[in-house]
Amino acid sequence: MISSADEQLEQIRQRVFMALFIALAVGLHTLEALLPNPLPWFRVGLANILALTALSIYGLKGMWVLSLSRIFIGSLLIGNLFGPGFLLSFCGGVGACLLMSAGALLLKRGIGLVGLSLLGATGHVCGQLLIASLVVVQHQSIWLLLPAFLFFALISGVINGLAADLLVDYLLKHPAFCDCRKGFGRHHVEG
Amino acid sequence: MLKRPLALIAALLLILLLSWSLRPRAASDVSRTALIMGTLVEIKGVGLDDKDMEGAISDAFDAMRREEARFSTRIETSQISAINRAITAIEVDPEVLAVLQLGQRISRQSEGAFHPGLGRLLKLWNFEAVSPRVPALSEVNALLPALIGEPVAISGSAVKRLNPDLQLDLGGIAKGYAVDRALAVLRAAGIESASVNAGGDIGLLGGHAERPWKIGIQHPRKTGQLLATLELRDRAVVTSGDYERFFLQDGMRYHHVFDPRTGFPARACQSVSVVTATVAEADALATAAFVLGPIKGLALLERLPDVEGLIVSATGEVEVTSGLKDQIRWR
Amino acid sequence: MALGSLLARMTRTDRWLVLLLMLAAFASLWFVLGRSVGRSLLVYAGDTLAFTAPLDQDRQIELHGPLGDTLIEVVAGKVRVISSPCSRKICIGMGAIQRSGDLLACVPNRVVIRIEGEGGEYDLLSR
Repeated sequence: MISSADEQLEQIRQRVFMALFIALAVGLHTLEALLPNPLPWFRVGLANILALTALSIYGLKGMWVLSLSRIFIGSLLIGNLFGPGFLLSFCGGVGACLLMSAGALLLKRGIGLVGLSLLGATGHVCGQLLIASLVVVQHQSIWLLLPAFLFFALISGVINGLAADLLVDYLLKHPAFCDCRKGFGRHHVEG
Repeated sequence: MLKRPLALIAALLLILLLSWSLRPRAASDVSRTALIMGTLVEIKGVGLDDKDMEGAISDAFDAMRREEARFSTRIETSQISAINRAITAIEVDPEVLAVLQLGQRISRQSEGAFHPGLGRLLKLWNFEAVSPRVPALSEVNALLPALIGEPVAISGSAVKRLNPDLQLDLGGIAKGYAVDRALAVLRAAGIESASVNAGGDIGLLGGHAERPWKIGIQHPRKTGQLLATLELRDRAVVTSGDYERFFLQDGMRYHHVFDPRTGFPARACQSVSVVTATVAEADALATAAFVLGPIKGLALLERLPDVEGLIVSATGEVEVTSGLKDQIRWR
Repeated sequence: MALGSLLARMTRTDRWLVLLLMLAAFASLWFVLGRSVGRSLLVYAGDTLAFTAPLDQDRQIELHGPLGDTLIEVVAGKVRVISSPCSRKICIGMGAIQRSGDLLACVPNRVVIRIEGEGGEYDLLSR
């Protein structure tokens, strides 16, 4: 297929921004691993803000690409690639993306970024607990942590969702995204 | 607008329920108990499906009952009873031979602190009685000369007591050996993780599913509390304590771990736990170290290869062998 | 930024989801709290299981053995033998058991009591 110069430019621009998002997500992923952590595995999931942004601007595929790249590159940076910590983030990430995809597909335009973020946080928690009980700890008593994790997911989900919503609004003002419409958010609710 | 959230609620609840019902269960344990050798034996198996496990466990119990029939001093037809009656050498099974040789070896290594021939002494003290009493000193002393030197002579598969006044009682060491046999039966049945607990004589096969077995060590003075926990695989753990079976007379505590050199309960320790490869050896060494006391006992455990242990002295100080220091978790 | 403008960023579906997750969290909390006390008591006569009961209900159990009746008492999650026909009464002297995996036995009267369930500090007790 022969594409016009404009289309090629648009593609390059998309890739550059995707790379920037991934870099940011990796930064947040690493930052979170460095933060003092009173309870193991309690992560605010700041990187999910970028996943939501990618979902909003580039759609489901963008979100998956961003999340998976973020986890692999981030783990490589921290130095726990293919270790138990990596396994936990990987399964958390996949769980988050699965639930967010389901939410985006099933609820289409009714759902906003906050709702998607909540689904992501819940999927993250469930994915982590599942893999933790199956492989890492191998004891079902780990599920006793589920309520605490769900409450945590509620709080971090809302905060991340609002942050993502603000970020997307801000980005859409940028000339690079002037052609994009916001995929998920209040703008489409009343429509 | 309302329709979709409700559908989502249903879907999410479904996911939650699914993830709950699909949550991995800790591979289910099968536990069975039986009363063998005058004590409670509990066998736990993990892995195999329940039916195979039941079969393997009942085979293991049968193996222990066979050892009871060989070793018990209470059973007239046992080989130990036969040795105790005979004046001449008699032929015994290789199992009896193995345990006797182990007993003699530990006896030598502990310079007589462990003795496989305390039958008469145990009968004199009679801990099985309704209200045990401290026997007369002269009665105890009369039994001591027979306890000096080797208890039996072994040639080929024939065993002979070296002193007609000596009566074998392999008590704990035979119980430990029976646990080892039970573990061998379970292993042969293809079970990878199991535990056998015969009244505190613990033998472990593999770990508890994927993680190690967590063994609690009883605090010798605080009933129902733990002194420490150990995480172990494929090991034997035996604790000898002065708190398990004892009676009080004139303000003194008389327990069932005797010093063969005095004929009285050993006084230097509150409890000794030994971790090693076989339960029979762990049982004998726990008794030996208990009798030797914290300093010599610890030295014995340190000297022997592949043996670790924990000693609580009579004053309550805890000593641990060097190899166990990193594995122990205090309570 | 005002709270109102933040709230305005949530769609109606979002709010439903917040409510739903809250519900799920409370439900799982209730589930978990309900489960953790689900330990039970198993009583064996000889080698056969004679009786099981949840540990959180107080009760007395009379069990017939070869020597006579052994009386077992469950109070506040603890199990003890309160009377036994055996000669040495070791089973009474052993006191109360309450943790998963704990055993209480009257060997002469062939009575074995065991606590089963999740959440024990240890698998086996060396004593």
